[in-house]
Amino acid sequence: MLRWKYSRPLLGVVMALLALAPVLGNNPLSRPGLQQTMAVAFIWGGLALTYDLLFGFTGLLSFGHALYFATGVYVTCILINHEVVSWWLASLIAIAVSALLALLVGAASLRTTGITFAMVTLAFGEAGHVILERNFFDLTGGENGIALNANLIPQFWISVVNTKYIYWTALAAMALTYAVIWWVTESSAGRVFAALRDNELRVQVLGLNTQRFKLLAFVISAALAALLGDVMLLAAGSAAPRFADAGVTISLLLMVVLGGAVTRWGAVIGGIIYSVATTRMQDLTQQDSFKTIPKWIGGPISEPAFVLGLLFIFVVMFAPGGLSGAYYKLRLRAITKKSQ
Amino acid sequence: MEAFILIGITGIGLGALYFLIASGLSLIYGLMGVLNFAHGSFLTVGAFVGFWVASKMGFETTIPEFLLAMIIGGLAAGLFALLIEQLLITRLYERHIDQALVTVGVSLVVGAVLGGWFGNDLRMFPTPMWFLTAIDIGGAQIPADRVIYISTAILLLIGNWALLKFTRIGLIIRAGVENRHMVDALGINVRKAFSTVFFLGGFAAGVGGVLVSVYSNGVSPLIAGSYLIYGFIVVVIGGMGSVPGSFLAAMLIGIIKQFANYYATGLGDFVVVILLAVVLLIRPQGLLGKVRA
Repeated sequence: MLRWKYSRPLLGVVMALLALAPVLGNNPLSRPGLQQTMAVAFIWGGLALTYDLLFGFTGLLSFGHALYFATGVYVTCILINHEVVSWWLASLIAIAVSALLALLVGAASLRTTGITFAMVTLAFGEAGHVILERNFFDLTGGENGIALNANLIPQFWISVVNTKYIYWTALAAMALTYAVIWWVTESSAGRVFAALRDNELRVQVLGLNTQRFKLLAFVISAALAALLGDVMLLAAGSAAPRFADAGVTISLLLMVVLGGAVTRWGAVIGGIIYSVATTRMQDLTQQDSFKTIPKWIGGPISEPAFVLGLLFIFVVMFAPGGLSGAYYKLRLRAITKKSQ
Repeated sequence: MEAFILIGITGIGLGALYFLIASGLSLIYGLMGVLNFAHGSFLTVGAFVGFWVASKMGFETTIPEFLLAMIIGGLAAGLFALLIEQLLITRLYERHIDQALVTVGVSLVVGAVLGGWFGNDLRMFPTPMWFLTAIDIGGAQIPADRVIYISTAILLLIGNWALLKFTRIGLIIRAGVENRHMVDALGINVRKAFSTVFFLGGFAAGVGGVLVSVYSNGVSPLIAGSYLIYGFIVVVIGGMGSVPGSFLAAMLIGIIKQFANYYATGLGDFVVVILLAVVLLIRPQGLLGKVRA
């Protein structure tokens, strides 16, 4: 067994510490600034995991995953601002809408496989992005997006002193996503997903409907992405077209590959580190000491995409498996050495 | 009638730009199975090198000067593409998903380097005055730069066709698109064909980059964005690996998009995606694509 026997107790302890940190005396996480950063990071960690379900577990390279995340953000925001329903009900409706959208788009794009599938999902995702930017029926606010009307959501999410509630909501959403994906990937459907990734023809020969299982994975990951979108709406306070950008999906791909696919915790850690790193890197490049670096080298470094892109190329070429893959490789080496 | 001609020709001009990007994407995919996300950065590299050459000649260029800048931009992009292929793609032989991932990385790094050096603001591209005039076709006033887009695309289509039809390397490329492993098994060096295709694809994208920066009134690291996505759509609709298919699809999409934008404001992108969905449902292999065994 490659799994460390204390990994589950450790996970419990880490989660408990993260959950209690905002109220445990004076520590970095008792300040609203870091709480906000971490809340956003948890959302990205969860999103990366939903992408791992598609890309890592089922072998579907989708470039349109941002669409379902953005659907969660926008549908919730529109329903709340027009005073149709409360946040809770709006979130559930948004998840349902996102799942339905995934069902339709998935049914069309899953007629293709592999690389073509990647292109087609990209096209659908970009179409969604464009539609949000166009402000049809004055619903989506065009390129500026729409600000969430703060008077219409539960008041414990409002104001800076209450940032800890957003932190807890994001942590809970990530944990819920983790639990659902853990349950799905360990279920018998999860075995079929893995088989589809490894040898689709074989699954077909066994008499299973491969399209239906792929569609199932597609819809589950879309619904969970919409859930995280509901929480992102609270953390960001607005719905903006940048949530639907193809760049979002590419970031998710980076997170999963850097953290390591198919291990679940790899994607989550990848997402959290990526999110914190991009936020912190922007602060770092604002400092005076950074300005002493010549511009031809300092310019590119100040763009997070430069460092992350290079790291990404390195991992794909020389360390496929990413962070969690490297960990398991080390453990395997330790175990075989012990048994000799 | 004038409006009809104007929109039609503008659509063909736009289609020509899409074709310049899609032709390389289609051949690279058809031959090597590589989904090349770095194609957008080939376009940007071509645009910036072309811009650099053209701005050496002043704020305004003559037509030969512009064409020279365009060709140098294309060559630079072709060499850059060759470098990426040799340095990264060949090392991931047959690992198609990883190859696609590496090209995503390249596009991020190139975008960041160019953004860090030049910033993301548009810089005016020095174009010939003639581009700003209008040509009278059937009573419609057609902007003259459209002529350059369309003739470049047609020249490229003919050049591509001639190369594929009459040269030995073209024969290997055509055979490779059909069945790469068989060509390999016959002892023919397919690697050389890979490099050729990358260079040609890069060249076309670089030329396209210079033209795109004329079309969008300037150069910036962000100009490639939507063109790469349209390139993918064109390749899927036209059929993977088919250059004539790409041409047909590019023209179709350019024209449909312009007409949709004219008659139903802003719906162009949406209509194109609907078209994509319809083609996928009726003919998943694309207009001129072959069904793969």
